[in-house]
Amino acid sequence: MEFLASDQIAIVDLASGEVETEEFSDELCQEKIGGAGINLALYNQHADGDPIVLGAGLFTGSMVPGSCLGVVTAKSPLTGQVAHAPLTQYLGMELKYSGFDYIVIKNAAAAPTMLWVHDGILDVEEAGGLAGLDVWAAVDQVRADKGDDLIQVLGTGPAAASSDLACLMNNYWPSGDRFGLGHALAAKNLKLVAIRGLGLLEIADDEEFVDQCVALQGEVKGGVWAGKKGLLDLAKGMGQDALADWLAPLVHRHRANFNTPFAANSFLFLQGDPSALPEPEEAEMGVLLTDLGAAALFQQMGLELGDAGAILKQCAKLGLDAGLAAKVCLDGGKTDAAAISGALEGLSGPVEGLSGPFSPATPKTAVFGVDQAGDDAWWTRRQAVAHIFGLDPLFVLLAPELSEAKLVELAGIGTELEFSQEGLDAVIAEVCG
Amino acid sequence: MGVKIDPLKCTACMACELACGYHRDDAFALLSSCIVVYRTRDKKDYFGVILKEEEDLVIARPEGLEVKRIGAVEEGGGGGDASAKPMLLREACDLCEDRDDGPLCKQVCPVDAVYLD
Amino acid sequence: MSNPLSAVNAYNRGLARGGAPPPPPALAKARGGRAPRYPRLGVYTGAGSSHSWLWFAESLERLGFYDLRFLDHAEIAAGGLDGLDGLAVSGGDTFAMARALGQPGAKALEGFLAGGGLYLGACAGAYLMLRSSQEPLCWFNFVQATIANLSRDLPQPLMLPEKYKTAYGCDYVFHPVREAVGLSCAPGPLGGEELAAPLYGGPAMIPASEEVEVLARYAAFEKRTKFLAPRDLAAETLLGLAAVLRAPYGRGSLYLFGPHFEHPGFPTANRLLAAAIYADLPERQPERGPEEQAALDGRPAKDWLLSIKRELSNSRIVALGLEDHPARWLIGTKVYEPAKLRVFLEALWDRLRALGKAPALRGPADALEGLPGSLARITVQARALKQGLDAGQDTQPLAEELFPGLVGAASQFMKIYFATALAGLDEDRDGRRLH
Repeated sequence: MEFLASDQIAIVDLASGEVETEEFSDELCQEKIGGAGINLALYNQHADGDPIVLGAGLFTGSMVPGSCLGVVTAKSPLTGQVAHAPLTQYLGMELKYSGFDYIVIKNAAAAPTMLWVHDGILDVEEAGGLAGLDVWAAVDQVRADKGDDLIQVLGTGPAAASSDLACLMNNYWPSGDRFGLGHALAAKNLKLVAIRGLGLLEIADDEEFVDQCVALQGEVKGGVWAGKKGLLDLAKGMGQDALADWLAPLVHRHRANFNTPFAANSFLFLQGDPSALPEPEEAEMGVLLTDLGAAALFQQMGLELGDAGAILKQCAKLGLDAGLAAKVCLDGGKTDAAAISGALEGLSGPVEGLSGPFSPATPKTAVFGVDQAGDDAWWTRRQAVAHIFGLDPLFVLLAPELSEAKLVELAGIGTELEFSQEGLDAVIAEVCG
Repeated sequence: MGVKIDPLKCTACMACELACGYHRDDAFALLSSCIVVYRTRDKKDYFGVILKEEEDLVIARPEGLEVKRIGAVEEGGGGGDASAKPMLLREACDLCEDRDDGPLCKQVCPVDAVYLD
Repeated sequence: MSNPLSAVNAYNRGLARGGAPPPPPALAKARGGRAPRYPRLGVYTGAGSSHSWLWFAESLERLGFYDLRFLDHAEIAAGGLDGLDGLAVSGGDTFAMARALGQPGAKALEGFLAGGGLYLGACAGAYLMLRSSQEPLCWFNFVQATIANLSRDLPQPLMLPEKYKTAYGCDYVFHPVREAVGLSCAPGPLGGEELAAPLYGGPAMIPASEEVEVLARYAAFEKRTKFLAPRDLAAETLLGLAAVLRAPYGRGSLYLFGPHFEHPGFPTANRLLAAAIYADLPERQPERGPEEQAALDGRPAKDWLLSIKRELSNSRIVALGLEDHPARWLIGTKVYEPAKLRVFLEALWDRLRALGKAPALRGPADALEGLPGSLARITVQARALKQGLDAGQDTQPLAEELFPGLVGAASQFMKIYFATALAGLDEDRDGRRLH
């Protein structure tokens, strides 16, 4: 793949420590397009190694609005089914620029291990020194060791060793994985994957592609999300004004995922003045909320926001999915902050009601009154589109301008390959299982 | 006229950085951009934008803009600015002089945090 | 717009392959009808040199000069100039260069020039050869000309104080402007052209002998000229004075460039550099003994490239993160900033892909063996530097290790790169460039 790609797939056998690389062929792209489509193909190809597949979408890291998404495809410890977990913020983009389009991680390491992915090099390194660290300490340690604060870390925390509620962590924050894939990573003795990419993506017809992206950006800019920012507005847009009001006192600023117009992450200050703007003296000020799931449950339980924030931070350090943890606690009758906090270490599933290949971290309810929102089949199809092309899974719900026809057209312009609606339909059907 | 940044509107999405990288390299890359989102202080939720101009380094911090004259002598005969050669290998902003529509970073900013003044 | 270097490049590649292509008009004029010959040139990378030797590597490569040797002060003193047609010495710390080369280096240079060698000095490389009474500079009085930009009393600098002046005895060598300046060339090797070239502390010069020829004068300031001193003082100090000199020495000759004609951002100046090389290339090729070069191909070559790529990637990741860090270190009389790390590392990284396409890697055995280890040490030191800066520690000792080590590793890399490129010209008959 000459365009919109690094042209390299890595196959890592953790049992032997061997790394093989394969060319990312035009044929594979043309048939499976990218992201979850190719992840799934690689997963099936290497199924005997119980693989975890990391991949970027066709447009990840490009100028297509919302181009943030990387995808992890693996069997969920919670559902027993193959699932596609979203990697948002900067992780998908970093993977795309790392020199590898896809990374297949198979079998298990004998000792704690990490992968260091950089500029087309994939190093399998021992990670004994990271084994006892919580998520935040491990991220800080890896960044210090490698000498760069922009290294993106797909990691796990202490919870991952024993809990099927352990999620994949995106640096310090939850990734949107609701499938317990942190536990799956830990089962391979893989503590984390550190990624830094200083690469470059060529574009087949760069002027046309960029012109169309700029035009598309102009179109989406006037969409339903315009003028809105963060999880407070998102909650209001879902008709959950009380949740928004509950969160508001501690919200500091809102952050977007890479090249994504709507900023869907909000930071809760757990100390200091949330309205303060200068750089704080303290190293840790609070916690980034990347979706509303856990917060909504804690609000329903009647928790104080500060207590809920502290639990979210505790979950983040443990590498525990706060949304699933909250649900398990609620189902188990634990609804006060102290009980929940005390139960987090050692908390496990099962979790009722989890199904499907895509993360419920992306809301299924109507947002900002978008037409068709709330329709499960439509939601699933849009998630498939997001996970194939590498687009923000929430933003594709808010931006009908990112139509399948437009994305198919852009795919052709960007790669010089031929794509069709029929081909896309087939890949969507596959990734939806 | 120059590119200006409203740091409080900025959401750190990096669309500007990506656009500038394309302007420099005719490809998607981030190493040549003269507009860069600084985003290394995750746990403090502290982020902003740095713009390299011909004479100045503009740092759009949340608490306000800071403009540093590149290589300038500080009052009192001090040792110049914070970095005499900031982002040495990145060329200064040229306002996308080859584009009829003006700076690409401004055009793609989804929240109008980048503007011309 | 056509690239002004492409005709020279094509000509040089033709010569390198043993052909006799027609020279571009400017080169033909400079050569004056003498037989063409593909030169072997040295580039000084030793103590005192700044990153600007990479500019010589870059511009000479673009011009099609692939038969390059990269030499430090010890190699020059130990006979490294034997077999070279020319030596290019770029910017840096003149005193440090002179001290490091010492009298053995001066003697080697004298022998080289007396035997017909060509010297191309830019900035510090020009100062080095100007007349001086001070040790160690007085060992290098090969050109009877003096420095014009000397003063005892200077106004406060308008910017970049550390670039403004350098102590020189009781006086200061001072630099009233930086960046592009306008030059006017005399008829002769530089063809009477008007051009711009960047000045980063290079001299304005005053010939002190009729043998010394002024090839170009400072003529104007440009839009991009940065004034460190008031404009009238800058004009008084520079305009009308010599920017480029040519002087004979023995059977050889020296070109001294105040501005950096080798800077890759100034292709017209680069082209004139080629004209200068061909105008004064020794008539006869110097004697060359057999050179021992090692070769790697197949799996060992792939493994070697992977190890180089790994360490370059590791180091440049650190360097990118430090590119706007306010740290600076004074090493000798030169100020180094973290951004300089990237300058060296990107120069190597940019050439890595081309090296990977070569059928075999070639170069001195010690460079091929030593480079992976050298770059691994750079990674360790760069990371330690970052950790030290983050912790607010004194990083001066680390920087003093790191930067010379990086220069050494870059020099090793270039030896391999150009040896491989030159061999590739023989192997690659369809004219495709390695880089």
